[in-house]
Formats: sequence, C-alpha cells, structure tokens
Amino acid sequence: MTRSKVVNGLKPVLFTLPAMVPFVLFWLAPLLYVLYLSFTEWDFMSPEKTFVGLQNYLDLFSNPAFYKALRVTVLFCAGSVLPIILLGLGLALLMNRKLKGSSLYQVLLFSPWVTPTVAVSIVWSWIYEPEVGLANTVLDFLGLEQIGWLQDPKWALIGVLLVTIWKSVGWAMIFYLVALRNVPSDLLEAGELDGASAAQKFFRITLPLISPTTLFLFVVQLIQALQAYDQINVLTQGGPSGSTRTLLYLYYQSAFESFQIGEASSVAVVLIVICMLLSVFSFGVSKRTTHYQ
Amino acid sequence: MRMLTRLGGPARHLFFAALALLMAFPFYWMATSALKTNDEIWRTPPTLWPEVPLWGNFAAAWNEAPFARYMGNSIVVATSIVILQIINSGMMAYALTHMKFRLKGLFAGIILFGYMVPATAVYLPGYLVLSELHLLNSYAGLILSNCVSIFSIFLIRQAFLQVSHELVEAGEVDGASHMRILWTVLVPVTRSSFAVLALITFIEQYNNYFWPMLITKDPDLQLVSAGLRSFFVEGGAYGLQWPLIMAASAFTIAPLLLVFLLAQKTIMQSVNMTAGASKG
Repeated sequence: MTRSKVVNGLKPVLFTLPAMVPFVLFWLAPLLYVLYLSFTEWDFMSPEKTFVGLQNYLDLFSNPAFYKALRVTVLFCAGSVLPIILLGLGLALLMNRKLKGSSLYQVLLFSPWVTPTVAVSIVWSWIYEPEVGLANTVLDFLGLEQIGWLQDPKWALIGVLLVTIWKSVGWAMIFYLVALRNVPSDLLEAGELDGASAAQKFFRITLPLISPTTLFLFVVQLIQALQAYDQINVLTQGGPSGSTRTLLYLYYQSAFESFQIGEASSVAVVLIVICMLLSVFSFGVSKRTTHYQ
Repeated sequence: MRMLTRLGGPARHLFFAALALLMAFPFYWMATSALKTNDEIWRTPPTLWPEVPLWGNFAAAWNEAPFARYMGNSIVVATSIVILQIINSGMMAYALTHMKFRLKGLFAGIILFGYMVPATAVYLPGYLVLSELHLLNSYAGLILSNCVSIFSIFLIRQAFLQVSHELVEAGEVDGASHMRILWTVLVPVTRSSFAVLALITFIEQYNNYFWPMLITKDPDLQLVSAGLRSFFVEGGAYGLQWPLIMAASAFTIAPLLLVFLLAQKTIMQSVNMTAGASKG
C-alpha cells in the first residue's frame, strides 16, 4: 500500500477519535471496571482488592434490603412511567383538536421539564412542609386529613412521584402532539365513512399509528425512572425507613456512604442488566408490533 | 374526557387554563414565598401575595452563598461541553454516514450498546477512573467526562443521513478535505439539528447535579444545583430561612425559564428530532 492510501484509510478512524477516546475512557472502561469490582471486596482505602467470586451477588440476593429496594424501584417505575404516558396522551388528545391559544398552554405545561430538578425539588419540599406547606393547607381547606408527605413511609414515595410526574408530563404531551399530527387524516375519514365509532377509530387507527411514540416514551421514561436520583436526594434521601430507596439510591449509599465497593458494584451490574434486558425487549417489541408509516 | 372534547372550545379552554395554572403554581409559590418575611411565611392560612414584598430577599440570598460563582461554573462547564459535543458528534456522525471504513459496524455497535447502559450505574467506576487520571476536583474532569453524548451523536447522524451523498462527493471532486466538507457543507444545511443539540445539552449540563457533585468536593468548583443544595442543607437554612431558600431557587430557575421562553420553538422542535433519532 502506498503512503497516501494508508493515510486515507486512517482518516475515518481519526474522525471517530474525538468521540471514541472519551467514550472508551469514561464509559466503556468504567463498565468493564464495575463488572470486575463486583467480584471483589474493597473499602476504597486499602491497597488490595480481594477477589471473592460471586460472593457479593450471593450476599445481595439474600439481603432483604435489596428486595425492598427492588420493590421500591418497580413501584417508582410503574408509578411514574404509566401516569406520564397516560396523562401525556390524554392531554395531547384533548389539545389536538383545534384550540386557539393552545401554544400558551403547551409552554406552561412543558416548562417544568427545562428547570433543574434540584431547585424544583427544593420548592416542592416547601410545598410539602407538614405544618404550613401548601399541600397540607389545601387538604385542610378541603376538610381532609393532613398528610406527612415526606415523613410518612406510606406517602413519601407518592410525594416523590408527584414531583417526577409534574416535571415530565408536559414533555410527553408534546411528543404525542407531534405523533398525532402525523396521523393521516384521510385514514380517520375513511374510518368514519365505514361507520367506525370514535372509540373504534382511536383504538384501531390512531393508537397503532402512534405506537412508536408510546414505545419510545416508555423506554426513555423507564430508563430515567431507574436512574432517578436528584429528587430523591433532595426530598427524602431514600427515607423514611427506606420507603423511597431505589436500587440506584442503594447503590449510591453503599458506594459513597458505607464504602462497600464490591457490594455496590454488584447492585450496579444488576441495574445495567435490567436496563439491557429492557432495551432488548423493547427493540424486539418495536420490530414485531409497532406500525411505522 | 371525550365529553370534554365534545363540549368544544370554551370547556377545553377552561380545563387547560386551570391545568396550566396548577402546573405553573409551584413557580408562583416559589416567587411569592421568596418575598415574604420569616413571620409571614409561617402564617396559616398562607397569604397569596406578601403584605410587604421584600425584594431585598433576593440580594440577601445572593450574598449568603457564592451563587455568582456557582452559576459561572455551570455556564462555563455547560458551554464547553456544548462546543466539544458539536465537534465530536459532527465528526463521528460524518464518519458513520459519509465515510467508508472497516470498523464502522463495530463502532456503531459499541455506541448503540452505550445507549442501553444507564449512565448513573457507572458513576462509581467512573469516579475511580477520574481519580486515576487525576481529574477529580477540576474543570477538566467536569468537562471531559461529559464531553461525549450518544444522544447527540444519534441526533446528528440522523440529520446527516438525510443529506445526499452527492453533496459530499461534489466537494471531494472540488478537492475539498473531509474537514472542510463537514464544516462548510454539511453543518450549514443541518444547523437546526445542531441548534437542538446545543440547547438540550446546555440545559442538561447546566442542571446537572449527581455526577458533578460526586467528582468535585471543592466548593469553588460546584455547579449551581449542587451549590443550591448545600445552601438548602447547610448554613442553618433548613426550615429556618425558607424565604431565602425560595429566593435562591428562583434565581437558579429563572435563567432556564428565560432561555426556554426565548428558544421555545427550537426546544419543542427537539421533540420531533429526538423521536427521529431514536428510530434510526
């Protein structure tokens, strides 16, 4: 090969380097590293990492705290993803029919999404303040019993979920508005001519056509829910009595508060495996059932 | 719900106006709470508008902690990350869409794989890697560790796929280098995607909390979210100085709401592109 050919062959690789080098360094290497760490015992300080095989996983799977965190994680995922998708779709359907001034509503409903989670969670912790907070004042006004929004283990997860839903529902609505606008109106008209009811048109025509958006929102929101940290950190720090401690929060606490690196790493690997299974699953679903136009 | 649709315009307007008010109410509550005295804020029932608005609370909160520094840090770090991502996403997407090379499939595969890994799950080993590289507690660490985004690469790749390859070939015939073709031919025609990349990345990085908080212990390097959070927890602020905490939250949130109002079209447009990028 001549020199210029070698240079030409290298060029594409050079173009990928500015992205690939940091990617390997800060993403791929840590991924392999956490897998390795999950087979060791280490406390951050000592120079030696002891290889312990599968011990961390065996410990994890026999630890009630793990199952509690897994349960909270499932509840958090279901309790945020489903309302965000259903409310987002409902609002988009309501708005989709011509409504003057709807762009103002869109801006207002979307605005929480751009704001920092930490700052708005602080605002919400003031709203949830037990004695004079807005939430309890409203309950009082309605003649209902006051709630320990962030102090009562029965309610804390709901308190955190409300903030999470509030922040993302407008975002989901915008996605659905775009998707609904792309549903060809002649299809709906054809349905009408065939005497389809509004419900039939919705379930037989609209819903299948917007299913790629539903799948996309489902996966993105699920992965976000699995990674939720900021609002939990500000509002409850995983408490009271672990009622808002998700797997991610457990991982963070065992790594940076109790310095059990091996155990924390095994939690991380479990999280990664869950995410990959979900991605593969959704990929399979999208290939089999969604209708691309 | 269908009943509401049937009811037509006025009923739907009423519904959305009420909902929009409800959704925006936390911002209003934050702003008015920021203007109250410590006495008034603990009064029941709460006042909807402060008796005597204390505009000085904003200045007091601003001086209570180095917020100028925090915001400066957030702006510098987020801007640097945006610039780096424009460069490396542009080059990567160019290689993936308009160049031929053997490892293309492998690289695309690795990146797709990265899409499935939750970033937060690798924060612990990422922290250890940064520590090995002596990048903890530094601007370099904050910037470099966030300088690649798979989302950004997908977004630009999607945009470049729509550009005819003939445009690139024409440039090659004219003897232009790939670099030149990328920045003077492709980027200008896909600038709306780059605008979306810049805005979304800026907002995300400006708001970023968990990772920057982990890798910087030096208060001088804190980004605005972490700074606000320590103001909230420390300084005896917990429960005692809610007006100041609300004032600080307000000036943390305000710039973002302003950016959003100015660039709402582009930000809303991002929705279109995000959905597109995820399909490809």
